[in-house]
Amino acid sequence: MSSAISPRSARTEAGIDRRSLLAGPAASLLAAGLPPAAAADTPPDLAQLIARVTEGAVPERARIRLEIPALAENGNAVDTRIRIDSPMTPAEHVRWIHLIAEKNPFPDMARFHLGPRAGRAEVATTLRIAQSQKVAAVAALSDGRFLLAEADIVVTLSACIDGG
Amino acid sequence: MNFNARISLPASVRAGEIVEIKVLTRHPMDRGGQSDGKGGTVPRKILNRLTATYAGETIFRLDMHTGVAANPFVSFTTRAIETGDIVFEWREDGGATYTRTARLTVT
Repeated sequence: MSSAISPRSARTEAGIDRRSLLAGPAASLLAAGLPPAAAADTPPDLAQLIARVTEGAVPERARIRLEIPALAENGNAVDTRIRIDSPMTPAEHVRWIHLIAEKNPFPDMARFHLGPRAGRAEVATTLRIAQSQKVAAVAALSDGRFLLAEADIVVTLSACIDGG
Repeated sequence: MNFNARISLPASVRAGEIVEIKVLTRHPMDRGGQSDGKGGTVPRKILNRLTATYAGETIFRLDMHTGVAANPFVSFTTRAIETGDIVFEWREDGGATYTRTARLTVT
């Protein structure tokens, strides 16, 4: 589906592409690796997208805040801010933050690369949200762990549906 | 090309302070796939990367996909080290790059 809408949006990040993930035996392996709690309250599609960016590691739902409006009148520009509680020292910092919208034509929205020079792990941007759905922010920490925050958003006027 | 960037920084900061940098870029961020009215489709043409360099090191990078809104806004932070230029470089689909600099004054 993403290839039809965004023909040039081949994934640049290393990883498994979604079709092979769904088709191959990797899918069952990844699903088996997820804890029952994460599998229960996350739609399977989003869980797979998250597992892809964390390379199968189970993220913690702590120390990360995803600030996104619960109701957006216009999905073409949704203000989003992500804050992570991290000392941002060379020993302990946030490496990157990845934003996923499972129902967007291309679910990967953006990846912010940070480092100890940031001083504070806080970024903001405006997003295109195609329809009402769950948005996820995944953060990778320097010690190899991952953090996850999710937020539900209702979109009144969808992005990516008409020609504009 | 319809590109323009507005970068906002505090006028002056103390060394060691954390500075918030806001960047608002004018760009249509064409996500592609729409009909062009002649039987074809419009190709994707977005700014796919923004890199910020300050005091000899890349301090921030944003990889953008079609989920980033037109006229993208981004805000991030950095620790003030020395008076110098923060260099921003955008990479557009097709290989074009745009560069802007902003002076950070550290007292």
